[in-house]
Amino acid sequence: MGLKLYDKLKHSIRYWLLRRLPTCQQTVEKISQSMERSLSLKERINLKLHLGICAWCQWYMEHLHIIRQTARAKADEPPDFVSGSGLSNEARERIHRRLTNQN
Amino acid sequence: MNEPQGTSPGESPDPGRWLDDHGDYLFKYAVFRLRDNTAAEDAVQETFLAALKAYKEFQGRASERTWLVGILKHKVVDHFRRAGREAPLGEESDEGPEHREFFDKPGPWQGHWNTNYAPNEWHATPAELIERGDFWKVFNECLSPLPQRTASAFTLREVDGLKSEEICEILSIKVNNLWVMLHRARLHLRNCLELNWFRAEE
Repeated sequence: MGLKLYDKLKHSIRYWLLRRLPTCQQTVEKISQSMERSLSLKERINLKLHLGICAWCQWYMEHLHIIRQTARAKADEPPDFVSGSGLSNEARERIHRRLTNQN
Repeated sequence: MNEPQGTSPGESPDPGRWLDDHGDYLFKYAVFRLRDNTAAEDAVQETFLAALKAYKEFQGRASERTWLVGILKHKVVDHFRRAGREAPLGEESDEGPEHREFFDKPGPWQGHWNTNYAPNEWHATPAELIERGDFWKVFNECLSPLPQRTASAFTLREVDGLKSEEICEILSIKVNNLWVMLHRARLHLRNCLELNWFRAEE
Protein backbone atom coordinates (compact mmCIF):
# COMPACT_ATOMS: atom_id res chain seq x y z
CA MET A 1 0.00 0.00 0.00
CA GLY A 2 2.82 2.37 1.00
CA LEU A 3 4.76 1.47 -2.12
CA LYS A 4 1.75 2.15 -4.33
CA LEU A 5 1.34 5.57 -2.83
CA TYR A 6 5.02 6.28 -3.38
CA ASP A 7 4.78 5.24 -7.03
CA LYS A 8 1.71 7.41 -7.50
CA LEU A 9 3.50 10.36 -5.97
CA LYS A 10 6.52 9.77 -8.22
CA HIS A 11 4.27 9.70 -11.27
CA SER A 12 2.46 12.85 -10.26
CA ILE A 13 5.72 14.72 -9.75
CA ARG A 14 7.04 13.48 -13.07
CA TYR A 15 3.92 14.57 -14.93
CA TRP A 16 3.79 17.84 -13.08
CA LEU A 17 7.40 18.54 -14.11
CA LEU A 18 6.90 17.43 -17.72
CA ARG A 19 3.96 19.82 -18.07
CA ARG A 20 5.96 22.74 -16.75
CA LEU A 21 9.31 22.16 -18.42
CA PRO A 22 9.94 22.96 -22.08
CA THR A 23 8.22 20.35 -24.27
CA CYS A 24 10.02 17.55 -26.13
CA GLN A 25 9.68 19.55 -29.34
CA GLN A 26 11.48 22.50 -27.72
CA THR A 27 13.96 20.21 -25.99
CA VAL A 28 15.15 18.44 -29.17
CA GLU A 29 15.93 21.85 -30.66
CA LYS A 30 17.99 22.70 -27.56
CA ILE A 31 19.75 19.34 -27.79
CA SER A 32 20.76 20.18 -31.34
CA GLN A 33 21.98 23.65 -30.28
CA SER A 34 23.97 22.14 -27.43
CA MET A 35 26.10 20.55 -30.17
CA GLU A 36 26.78 24.01 -31.64
CA ARG A 37 27.15 26.43 -28.71
CA SER A 38 27.29 26.40 -24.93
CA LEU A 39 23.83 26.68 -23.42
CA SER A 40 22.96 29.26 -20.75
CA LEU A 41 22.60 28.10 -17.16
CA LYS A 42 18.80 28.20 -17.36
CA GLU A 43 18.82 26.22 -20.59
CA ARG A 44 21.16 23.65 -19.07
CA ILE A 45 19.00 23.21 -15.97
CA ASN A 46 15.82 22.80 -18.01
CA LEU A 47 17.54 20.31 -20.31
CA LYS A 48 18.95 18.28 -17.40
CA LEU A 49 15.55 18.14 -15.67
CA HIS A 50 13.76 17.19 -18.86
CA LEU A 51 16.29 14.45 -19.67
CA GLY A 52 15.96 13.17 -16.10
CA ILE A 53 12.33 12.26 -16.67
CA CYS A 54 12.13 11.65 -20.44
CA ALA A 55 13.80 8.54 -21.88
CA TRP A 56 12.79 9.50 -25.42
CA CYS A 57 14.73 12.74 -25.36
CA GLN A 58 17.62 10.95 -23.63
CA TRP A 59 17.79 8.48 -26.50
CA TYR A 60 17.40 11.30 -29.00
CA MET A 61 20.47 13.07 -27.63
CA GLU A 62 22.45 9.84 -27.43
CA HIS A 63 21.58 9.03 -31.06
CA LEU A 64 22.70 12.42 -32.35
CA HIS A 65 26.08 11.88 -30.74
CA ILE A 66 26.30 8.32 -32.09
CA ILE A 67 25.55 9.59 -35.60
CA ARG A 68 28.23 12.29 -35.29
CA GLN A 69 30.84 9.85 -33.96
CA THR A 70 30.10 7.23 -36.62
CA ALA A 71 30.06 9.74 -39.48
CA ARG A 72 33.34 11.35 -38.44
CA ALA A 73 35.03 8.01 -37.90
CA LYS A 74 34.07 6.97 -41.42
CA ALA A 75 34.68 10.37 -43.08
CA ASP A 76 37.64 9.15 -45.14
CA GLU A 77 36.20 5.76 -46.05
CA PRO A 78 35.00 5.66 -49.62
CA PRO A 79 31.21 5.52 -49.42
CA ASP A 80 30.37 1.98 -50.51
CA PHE A 81 27.07 2.93 -52.11
CA VAL A 82 28.76 4.41 -55.16
CA SER A 83 31.30 1.61 -55.58
CA GLY A 84 29.76 0.58 -58.90
CA SER A 85 29.78 4.15 -60.12
CA GLY A 86 33.30 5.50 -59.97
CA LEU A 87 34.42 7.91 -62.67
CA SER A 88 32.68 7.25 -65.97
CA ASN A 89 34.95 6.33 -68.89
CA GLU A 90 34.02 9.54 -70.59
CA ALA A 91 35.00 11.66 -67.57
CA ARG A 92 38.17 9.62 -67.05
CA GLU A 93 39.30 10.23 -70.64
CA ARG A 94 38.42 13.90 -70.48
CA ILE A 95 40.39 14.41 -67.27
CA HIS A 96 43.31 12.40 -68.67
CA ARG A 97 43.43 14.56 -71.80
CA ARG A 98 43.30 17.70 -69.72
CA LEU A 99 46.10 16.50 -67.44
CA THR A 100 48.45 15.39 -70.21
CA ASN A 101 47.95 18.63 -72.15
CA GLN A 102 49.18 20.47 -69.10
CA ASN A 103 52.55 18.72 -69.19
CA MET B 1 75.19 10.99 -79.54
CA ASN B 2 73.42 12.49 -76.62
CA GLU B 3 70.44 10.59 -75.29
CA PRO B 4 67.57 12.84 -74.27
CA GLN B 5 67.58 13.15 -70.53
CA GLY B 6 64.71 11.09 -69.19
CA THR B 7 63.28 11.71 -65.80
CA SER B 8 63.66 8.88 -63.37
CA PRO B 9 60.46 7.26 -62.14
CA GLY B 10 59.03 8.81 -59.00
CA GLU B 11 60.37 12.27 -59.70
CA SER B 12 57.82 13.32 -62.24
CA PRO B 13 54.11 12.90 -61.75
CA ASP B 14 52.27 10.36 -63.85
CA PRO B 15 48.70 11.61 -64.38
CA GLY B 16 47.62 8.35 -65.98
CA ARG B 17 48.63 6.33 -62.95
CA TRP B 18 47.12 8.92 -60.59
CA LEU B 19 43.85 8.60 -62.38
CA ASP B 20 43.98 4.80 -62.14
CA ASP B 21 45.04 4.73 -58.51
CA HIS B 22 42.95 7.51 -57.05
CA GLY B 23 40.38 8.66 -59.60
CA ASP B 24 37.51 6.49 -58.39
CA TYR B 25 38.21 7.11 -54.73
CA LEU B 26 38.35 10.86 -55.18
CA PHE B 27 35.20 10.81 -57.28
CA LYS B 28 33.26 8.88 -54.64
CA TYR B 29 34.55 11.18 -51.94
CA ALA B 30 33.42 14.22 -53.92
CA VAL B 31 30.07 12.94 -55.18
CA PHE B 32 29.02 11.95 -51.67
CA ARG B 33 29.58 15.53 -50.52
CA LEU B 34 28.49 17.47 -53.60
CA ARG B 35 25.56 15.19 -54.51
CA ASP B 36 26.12 15.98 -58.19
CA ASN B 37 28.12 13.91 -60.71
CA THR B 38 29.28 16.77 -62.92
CA ALA B 39 30.37 18.90 -59.99
CA ALA B 40 32.24 15.91 -58.55
CA GLU B 41 34.04 15.22 -61.86
CA ASP B 42 35.06 18.87 -62.04
CA ALA B 43 36.35 18.78 -58.48
CA VAL B 44 38.45 15.67 -59.26
CA GLN B 45 39.89 17.31 -62.38
CA GLU B 46 40.71 20.52 -60.50
CA THR B 47 42.35 18.45 -57.76
CA PHE B 48 44.65 16.67 -60.22
CA LEU B 49 45.49 19.94 -61.99
CA ALA B 50 46.37 21.60 -58.69
CA ALA B 51 48.37 18.52 -57.72
CA LEU B 52 50.39 18.69 -60.95
CA LYS B 53 51.28 22.30 -60.26
CA ALA B 54 52.20 21.67 -56.65
CA TYR B 55 53.96 18.36 -57.22
CA LYS B 56 57.41 19.66 -56.24
CA GLU B 57 56.11 20.72 -52.84
CA PHE B 58 54.55 17.35 -52.24
CA GLN B 59 57.34 14.87 -52.93
CA GLY B 60 57.24 12.25 -50.27
CA ARG B 61 55.72 14.36 -47.51
CA ALA B 62 52.59 12.33 -46.96
CA SER B 63 50.94 9.45 -48.74
CA GLU B 64 49.84 10.43 -52.23
CA ARG B 65 46.22 9.61 -51.37
CA THR B 66 46.19 11.76 -48.23
CA TRP B 67 47.76 14.61 -50.14
CA LEU B 68 45.22 14.43 -52.96
CA VAL B 69 42.28 14.18 -50.54
CA GLY B 70 43.61 17.28 -48.78
CA ILE B 71 43.47 19.20 -52.06
CA LEU B 72 40.05 17.79 -52.93
CA LYS B 73 38.61 19.00 -49.60
CA HIS B 74 39.46 22.54 -50.63
CA LYS B 75 37.90 22.06 -54.06
CA VAL B 76 34.68 20.79 -52.47
CA VAL B 77 34.54 23.82 -50.18
CA ASP B 78 35.23 26.11 -53.17
CA HIS B 79 32.25 24.60 -54.93
CA PHE B 80 29.96 25.23 -51.93
CA ARG B 81 31.28 28.75 -51.63
CA ARG B 82 30.50 29.50 -55.29
CA ALA B 83 27.03 27.98 -54.94
CA GLY B 84 26.45 30.03 -51.78
CA ARG B 85 27.35 33.26 -53.57
CA GLU B 86 25.27 32.47 -56.62
CA ALA B 87 22.10 31.71 -54.68
CA PRO B 88 22.01 33.86 -51.54
CA LEU B 89 19.52 32.67 -49.01
CA GLY B 90 16.24 34.57 -49.44
CA GLU B 91 13.39 35.02 -47.02
CA GLU B 92 11.43 32.24 -48.61
CA SER B 93 14.30 29.79 -48.41
CA ASP B 94 13.57 26.20 -47.45
CA GLU B 95 15.59 24.82 -44.57
CA GLY B 96 14.00 21.39 -44.62
CA PRO B 97 10.97 19.57 -43.22
CA GLU B 98 9.86 20.61 -39.75
CA HIS B 99 8.35 17.20 -38.97
CA ARG B 100 5.62 18.60 -36.74
CA GLU B 101 3.92 15.21 -36.99
CA PHE B 102 6.65 13.79 -34.72
CA PHE B 103 5.03 15.64 -31.81
CA ASP B 104 1.54 15.66 -30.32
CA LYS B 105 -1.09 18.07 -31.57
CA PRO B 106 -2.89 20.50 -29.26
CA GLY B 107 -4.09 18.69 -26.16
CA PRO B 108 -2.66 17.88 -22.74
CA TRP B 109 0.58 16.55 -24.24
CA GLN B 110 1.02 19.07 -27.00
CA GLY B 111 4.65 19.28 -28.07
CA HIS B 112 5.67 15.98 -26.51
CA TRP B 113 6.71 12.98 -28.59
CA ASN B 114 4.01 11.32 -30.61
CA THR B 115 4.49 7.65 -29.68
CA ASN B 116 4.59 6.65 -33.36
CA TYR B 117 7.72 8.72 -33.90
CA ALA B 118 9.39 8.68 -30.49
CA PRO B 119 12.97 7.39 -30.44
CA ASN B 120 13.67 3.76 -29.55
CA GLU B 121 16.71 2.38 -27.81
CA TRP B 122 19.40 1.45 -30.38
CA HIS B 123 21.20 -1.31 -28.46
CA ALA B 124 24.50 -0.70 -30.20
CA THR B 125 27.77 1.01 -29.37
CA PRO B 126 29.32 3.47 -31.82
CA ALA B 127 32.15 0.97 -32.42
CA GLU B 128 29.63 -1.67 -33.53
CA LEU B 129 27.94 0.79 -35.82
CA ILE B 130 31.22 1.81 -37.42
CA GLU B 131 31.81 -1.85 -38.31
CA ARG B 132 28.32 -2.29 -39.69
CA GLY B 133 28.07 -1.90 -43.45
CA ASP B 134 25.72 0.30 -45.42
CA PHE B 135 26.02 3.29 -43.12
CA TRP B 136 26.77 5.72 -45.96
CA LYS B 137 24.17 4.19 -48.22
CA VAL B 138 21.38 4.71 -45.69
CA PHE B 139 22.81 8.06 -44.61
CA ASN B 140 22.83 9.26 -48.21
CA GLU B 141 19.31 8.05 -48.95
CA CYS B 142 18.05 9.69 -45.77
CA LEU B 143 19.64 13.02 -46.72
CA SER B 144 18.27 13.02 -50.25
CA PRO B 145 14.81 14.51 -49.49
CA LEU B 146 16.42 17.48 -47.71
CA PRO B 147 17.14 20.75 -49.56
CA GLN B 148 20.64 20.76 -51.08
CA ARG B 149 21.97 23.47 -48.79
CA THR B 150 20.69 21.81 -45.63
CA ALA B 151 22.26 18.50 -46.69
CA SER B 152 25.56 20.29 -47.44
CA ALA B 153 25.58 22.10 -44.10
CA PHE B 154 24.84 18.87 -42.27
CA THR B 155 27.59 16.94 -44.09
CA LEU B 156 30.19 19.67 -43.53
CA ARG B 157 29.32 19.73 -39.83
CA GLU B 158 28.74 16.10 -38.89
CA VAL B 159 31.00 14.29 -41.36
CA ASP B 160 33.85 16.72 -41.97
CA GLY B 161 33.68 18.38 -38.54
CA LEU B 162 33.93 21.99 -39.72
CA LYS B 163 33.05 24.67 -37.17
CA SER B 164 29.71 26.52 -37.30
CA GLU B 165 31.39 29.81 -38.23
CA GLU B 166 33.34 28.23 -41.09
CA ILE B 167 30.18 26.69 -42.53
CA CYS B 168 28.30 30.00 -42.30
CA GLU B 169 31.11 31.72 -44.19
CA ILE B 170 31.29 29.00 -46.87
CA LEU B 171 27.53 28.85 -47.47
CA SER B 172 26.94 32.60 -46.94
CA ILE B 173 24.32 32.04 -44.24
CA LYS B 174 23.67 33.40 -40.76
CA VAL B 175 24.38 31.26 -37.75
CA ASN B 176 20.71 31.13 -36.66
CA ASN B 177 19.85 29.82 -40.10
CA LEU B 178 22.53 27.18 -39.82
CA TRP B 179 21.18 26.02 -36.45
CA VAL B 180 17.68 25.63 -37.87
CA MET B 181 19.07 23.65 -40.82
CA LEU B 182 21.16 21.38 -38.60
CA HIS B 183 18.29 20.80 -36.20
CA ARG B 184 15.88 19.83 -39.00
CA ALA B 185 18.47 17.62 -40.66
CA ARG B 186 19.16 15.82 -37.35
CA LEU B 187 15.47 15.35 -36.58
CA HIS B 188 14.91 13.90 -40.03
CA LEU B 189 18.05 11.79 -40.27
CA ARG B 190 17.80 10.25 -36.80
CA ASN B 191 14.30 9.03 -37.50
CA CYS B 192 15.22 7.81 -40.98
CA LEU B 193 18.31 5.94 -39.75
CA GLU B 194 16.28 4.30 -37.01
CA LEU B 195 13.65 3.11 -39.49
CA ASN B 196 16.00 1.99 -42.23
CA TRP B 197 19.14 0.93 -40.45
CA PHE B 198 18.05 -0.41 -37.07
CA ARG B 199 14.65 -1.85 -37.74
CA ALA B 200 15.91 -3.38 -40.98
CA GLU B 201 18.44 -5.49 -39.04
CA GLU B 202 16.05 -6.76 -36.39
